[in-house]
Amino acid sequence: MAVSFGSTELPETLTGTLRKAIRIQWITIGFLVMATTIVGLVLGNSQAMKAAWVEDLLSLAPPISFLLAVRISRKPPTVDRPYGFHRSIGVAHLVSATALVAVGAFLVFDSGSVLLRAEHPPIGSVQLFGQVFWLGWLMIAAMLLTGIPPIFLGRAKMKLAEQLHDKVLYADAKMNKADWMTAAGSILGVTGIGFGLWWADAIAALFISGNILWDGLTNMRGAIKDLTDVRATTFDDAEPHPLIDKVNSCLRDLDWVQDAGSRIRDEGHVFHVEAFIVPQSGADLSVEALEQARSKVSDLDWKMQDVVLVPVHQLPEYARP
Amino acid sequence: MAARRALLAFALFGTAALLAVLTGCASFPADPDGTLDRVRGGVLRVGVSHSEPWVRVLEETEPAGIEPELVQRFATTLQATIEWQPGGEEALMTDLEHGRLDLVIGGLTAESPWTDKAAITKPYAESRNREGKTEKHVMAAPLGENAFLLELEKFLLSEEL
Repeated sequence: MAVSFGSTELPETLTGTLRKAIRIQWITIGFLVMATTIVGLVLGNSQAMKAAWVEDLLSLAPPISFLLAVRISRKPPTVDRPYGFHRSIGVAHLVSATALVAVGAFLVFDSGSVLLRAEHPPIGSVQLFGQVFWLGWLMIAAMLLTGIPPIFLGRAKMKLAEQLHDKVLYADAKMNKADWMTAAGSILGVTGIGFGLWWADAIAALFISGNILWDGLTNMRGAIKDLTDVRATTFDDAEPHPLIDKVNSCLRDLDWVQDAGSRIRDEGHVFHVEAFIVPQSGADLSVEALEQARSKVSDLDWKMQDVVLVPVHQLPEYARP
Repeated sequence: MAARRALLAFALFGTAALLAVLTGCASFPADPDGTLDRVRGGVLRVGVSHSEPWVRVLEETEPAGIEPELVQRFATTLQATIEWQPGGEEALMTDLEHGRLDLVIGGLTAESPWTDKAAITKPYAESRNREGKTEKHVMAAPLGENAFLLELEKFLLSEEL
């Protein structure tokens, strides 16, 4: 059964993909709740451990906002909301990216100040099963336990993000990368502390947090640009979306069209297309011809949510390919 | 690809940590400033702040009370002699922070605000204060001297007050 996706329908093949994405986000939430509990119990005084914990907490933002946004975005447009509800994906992307930035900035500041003040992190003992041993061992075990699942979660999400053109999933995949990197860094840091290298922990945290902050800022920039109507880009914001060229050449191929250019913005999953058409001189511009052209563009891809055709004498500057 | 590399990183870090210990790294965790090594068979410098009945700082004799007795026994396990230094809590904590003391006692509790200057140990005893609230009693060790901290906590736990 096809899933309604605003005013368009998701193709058969992608329905399963969306279901998979929803399932993986519920798994992520379950995993994160478990991980924050475990790490919270063995937190101690390691800087990197504390960082990993805050990180896990903030990692909840992308999956939650994804689940909310997917639910909202599927509602069909109404008189009140004529553009539909897909922008909720853009908002969720911004929320996720902001969470990433917050994690990165917090970690940079936190580990940086530890280094500057030359604080030596104390890690004491823990009593478990009648045995007293170093709390560091428990921390390493907790990090191994909570650090490995995000590798696979992130990888799966990256694939789904591309297929669904879902930037929230993309930001979340980056968040999962941040998760496992912090975990690996904490192991390195705590081991370093064990060797008496008090700075190992903070250096590891600083190195990783720089990486996270960068991912966060890149995503934040992408999210803000999408919300402020930048030309549509690929799911990773790497390049202009190839559909822009496809729309233009599809229209130019019509025999009554002399030239065509379009502006396309990303509504989140789906695109909003305004195509400008310069008809051949003397061409008879019938409503039929225009509607045909419109459905031809709509059929190009499931992402073509809204297509508006504007016949003009001359292409506007910004729509010239 | 990325996943395999990440897993490899975890495997490496894990085994590195394990190897370090199995190949007989003398002490793990180690002290950045070597407190435990210096104290063992040497001198344990203890700051004492008066707080009945845990620490009684006396004019003529050595400090008495529950905590000085505990510290005395701890020093014995390390074959260390004790150098007592009486003082106010803040001055002692500053000395501890700058490595001029190895231990501070004075009826400290787990609620102690000194966590940025000292490593607060695990509680070794509980009592009720005048308001009927449970207080967990702790000592203060130098920050980051984890071998020393672990040794002290092991001792305190074995005492079972």
